[in-house]
Amino acid sequence: MNPQVVRVLLRPAPGNAATLVIPATAFAIVTALVLTVVGGAQSFWGWDDEMALIYQVLAAVALVLLVVPLASLGGAAARLSARRRDERLSTLRLLGVTPAGVGTITVVESTLIATAGVVAGGIRRLPPAPPLGLIPVRRRRRGLGAVRLSPAMIAVVCAGAVLLAAVSAILGLRRVIVSPLGVRMRAQVTRVHWVRGVVAVLVVAAAFLTAQAIPALTGAVTITVVLAGIFAGTLAVLNLVGPWALAVFSRSRLKRAQTPERLLAARTVLDDPKAAWRQVGGIAMASFMAVFAGTGVSLMNVMSSSDAGDSNLALVEDMRTGLIITLVASFIMVAASVGVTQASDVLDQRPLHRSLHQLGVPAETVDAARRRAIMSPLLFTALGSALCAGVVVFPLLGITLIVAPVSLVTIMAVLAAGILTVWLSTLATRPLLRRAFAPA
Amino acid sequence: MNDPVLNAHALTKNYGPTRALAGVDAAVHRGESLAIMGASGSGKTTLLHALAGIISPDSGSVAFTSASGERIDVTGQSESVRSRLRRERFGFVFQQGLLIPELTAIENVALALMINGAKRQDAIGPAAAWLQSLGLAWMEDRRIGELSGGQAQRVAIARAQVTGAELIFADEPTGALDSHTSAEVMDALLWSTTGQGRTLVVVTHDPQVAARCTRVLRMRDGVIVDAEVNA
Repeated sequence: MNPQVVRVLLRPAPGNAATLVIPATAFAIVTALVLTVVGGAQSFWGWDDEMALIYQVLAAVALVLLVVPLASLGGAAARLSARRRDERLSTLRLLGVTPAGVGTITVVESTLIATAGVVAGGIRRLPPAPPLGLIPVRRRRRGLGAVRLSPAMIAVVCAGAVLLAAVSAILGLRRVIVSPLGVRMRAQVTRVHWVRGVVAVLVVAAAFLTAQAIPALTGAVTITVVLAGIFAGTLAVLNLVGPWALAVFSRSRLKRAQTPERLLAARTVLDDPKAAWRQVGGIAMASFMAVFAGTGVSLMNVMSSSDAGDSNLALVEDMRTGLIITLVASFIMVAASVGVTQASDVLDQRPLHRSLHQLGVPAETVDAARRRAIMSPLLFTALGSALCAGVVVFPLLGITLIVAPVSLVTIMAVLAAGILTVWLSTLATRPLLRRAFAPA
Repeated sequence: MNDPVLNAHALTKNYGPTRALAGVDAAVHRGESLAIMGASGSGKTTLLHALAGIISPDSGSVAFTSASGERIDVTGQSESVRSRLRRERFGFVFQQGLLIPELTAIENVALALMINGAKRQDAIGPAAAWLQSLGLAWMEDRRIGELSGGQAQRVAIARAQVTGAELIFADEPTGALDSHTSAEVMDALLWSTTGQGRTLVVVTHDPQVAARCTRVLRMRDGVIVDAEVNA
């Protein structure tokens, strides 16, 4: 396509600021978070003692956990780009531009918005936040120098984030149809098979049996390796079983739904359980991690305090700190992704919302329904994942509750704060919805 | 002719420099089917929106008189009161149906009652009865995407009727349908409105649709230029 035409098409349209600002801000926050975590973890790779490998593996796990919600955010941002440009894009299709050409414009635009956010986040993190250097690792405050990223490293991370945004935009657009008559989301009822549930039960049972052997193990390193294996296996199965579990949960909610909000919310989740899972899946992982790793860390803390050296004690404390940082980062990313997805959905349903306004349906009813469609699966997922982790580490959890309740309570408080953050992000798109309902 | 159920006086509405309504007087009589015709931009949809309380005119008034004789000044009410009026007293059928795609046919119809405070188990019965009477008994549990255009419009008609609305507004209800389906939808719309003693106001481009109504208003440049009663 002629670059001049692309430039004209990418010119911002007036009155759509929120749909630009929301994804750009989300990418800025997420990039700043990733840079913070990378900055905190980078010094681990310079170590070469016996504990170095554990620190490096744990830092890598934390980064991988953050990539999942980042990818989800990229897909949501691309869908939002397509929706906010619907008239322009469908006009282009009328003029004979191919679906691939229109897709290219959308991906370019979405990536440009992401780049603006990523650059803003990168600049924000160029000087590291002073509190970051105060976080002790191996019982020593490392200072700003240790967590400062070089401009080259910041550029690499930012380039990676932009690349991820572009790739997830391409993947995210698979669900969007740009036809000459308009832009709409691909309407398909996605079904999830019960076999997923059976596989999940088997894996959780296997993990539970493996966990029984943990009390017999000695040394923080061995325990960490075994816990990491169980953690990875169960986490993988969470993604498999998540959509199916959400579908079962929402079906039961549907049967009991007596109000319009509850009916709409249950049907929204059932319409596409996989999409619902994509939104809250990050929370499932965070919640699982909170209970699983939180129990392990708290217990090791108690065990190590009696019979371990300084390095083991420091490892346990650092794991707890890392866990809380990863939890906070995960929740902020999920909140950002939820905000962007909600903005896209509101734009997608503008004609429907206009008609509901004409029918006299209060905007509050629709607002309550869409927030319930997020928060209900979110709470179910967070509690379900926590329960799942609790089953796997059942005896350890019981012991931890007795010997180290404060550690567990701290982690649970972080979990609750994270859920609150996501709830707040659902409020951010309320003005868009109100505009669709605004009387002429 | 019966008493007016709606009475509009000197309605004006401007969108920026465009005058959509330029002092319209109109009355809708109880039990009649009134077609509003005109070219695109003539003001017919704006008139329907003003009559239904969807928009506030810049000047002029609309008064609604219920079957029990209660008189409500539509234009003088707040948005929330007009919203309640629309969901409790009026019914709407749009060109594309504009049903909620995640819900089944019966849930779409029942939702209109639930929005008015009915419990789901109390709303399902009347919704099923309306779907059955419109020939959709076997389609209750289908999602909207699984219905044809004509079937979806009949679900929209059931949704408009299920609350017992006295007055139904339809905006190009057959605009997206072929002529055969269009005739079927008009059969359903007329049977369920004037056939039950209710009142119907239809905005349409289609002369075939207008010919089936008892009265036709023609608009041009925001004013009514012609009114005729069909035989």
